[in-house]
Amino acid sequence: MNRHAIVKGSTVLVMFLSASACQHMEPAPICDMGAIASQRTLVSVPAAVPGGASPLQEMPLNSVSITDHRILNKVYVRNVTARRTPSGTVELYAQVINCTDHPLQTEARTQFYDAGQAPAEPVSAWKRLYLPPRTSNIYREFSLGTTSIHAYMVEMREGE
Amino acid sequence: MDVHSLHRSPGNIKILVGARLVWFAIPVAVLLSGCQSVHNAAGTPTTYNDPSAPPPLAQGVGIESQDIIGMTDQMMRDILSNPRLAAQQKPPRVIIDSEYFVNESASRINKNIITDRLRVELNRAAVGRMVFVGRHHAGMVEHERKIKRDGVADKGTVAPTAAQMGGDYRLGGRITSQDARAPKTGAATRFSQITFEMIDLESGEIVWSGMYAFSKSQQDDVIYR
Repeated sequence: MNRHAIVKGSTVLVMFLSASACQHMEPAPICDMGAIASQRTLVSVPAAVPGGASPLQEMPLNSVSITDHRILNKVYVRNVTARRTPSGTVELYAQVINCTDHPLQTEARTQFYDAGQAPAEPVSAWKRLYLPPRTSNIYREFSLGTTSIHAYMVEMREGE
Repeated sequence: MDVHSLHRSPGNIKILVGARLVWFAIPVAVLLSGCQSVHNAAGTPTTYNDPSAPPPLAQGVGIESQDIIGMTDQMMRDILSNPRLAAQQKPPRVIIDSEYFVNESASRINKNIITDRLRVELNRAAVGRMVFVGRHHAGMVEHERKIKRDGVADKGTVAPTAAQMGGDYRLGGRITSQDARAPKTGAATRFSQITFEMIDLESGEIVWSGMYAFSKSQQDDVIYR
């Protein structure tokens, strides 16, 4: 009886240990690309000609648009915010997360817009962002103008 | 004199050899002239590159166009966000040139390409928030002031000033680098660091600093001219 109980107990222990060994824990960040893609809203932007239909449904203002399919399912833009600096220019931050197990380099640039959603100044130069595996980094950009700036749009691509 | 003796005399041998050469040379020349024709084809076209992207044909480990555009754009935006430089009631006078911008790196570069771009872009973007003093044109201004005051030229339309404009702040900076090369493979890595500082020309205080740094690796470095 005792021997039978020991065998039973040993079997259960082995099964438990083997089952626990099979549990695969993903380290953070866990990027659900399906959910991220479903959050991409198709926003109608104002047409170039007032009253006309806009062909542009993507790339809404005040957001980061990933324009490179090579990193579309590799990075996740967690948030993007903007604020006024003491000199009156606009400073924007975008937190970018590398969801892969490999180092990535991305480049981003920003176009700032005025109240009429026309470009208020030249687009910024491409700025490189280094992302070690499963880390986040901050893309930061300043506007040149002050009170003329009302909106922005960030483009992001893989760094060459 | 028989035929054989004629042919074998030294002078006649030269004439015969010359005659044979002529008979040989004429068809060869005709053939060659037939080969020499105009290669009527278009040359290799010049390719325009995007200066904000790495050069497609000759990319090395040094400072390149995309770095110059990137660093000057970053510094310009940073300077305009500094309230001490860009939000004063009375716009400060700023001198930006390469006089105190030194290159201690392994990269061969004309420093003016950085400082000129920074000054021009900043001047265009500042629109009155800062006043730029062209100290690198001081000689030109001095010459004109002198001939105006000597009566060689008239006074112009702008009111005369007692002296040239003095600067409140001036750009200083340094380009430095650290090189590494693998002797077996020849692969080269260079870490480049470019610092920019704005100095108060009365107190010496550094009122603004900016830095641009990058590291590049390449199997074979290119030659920068």
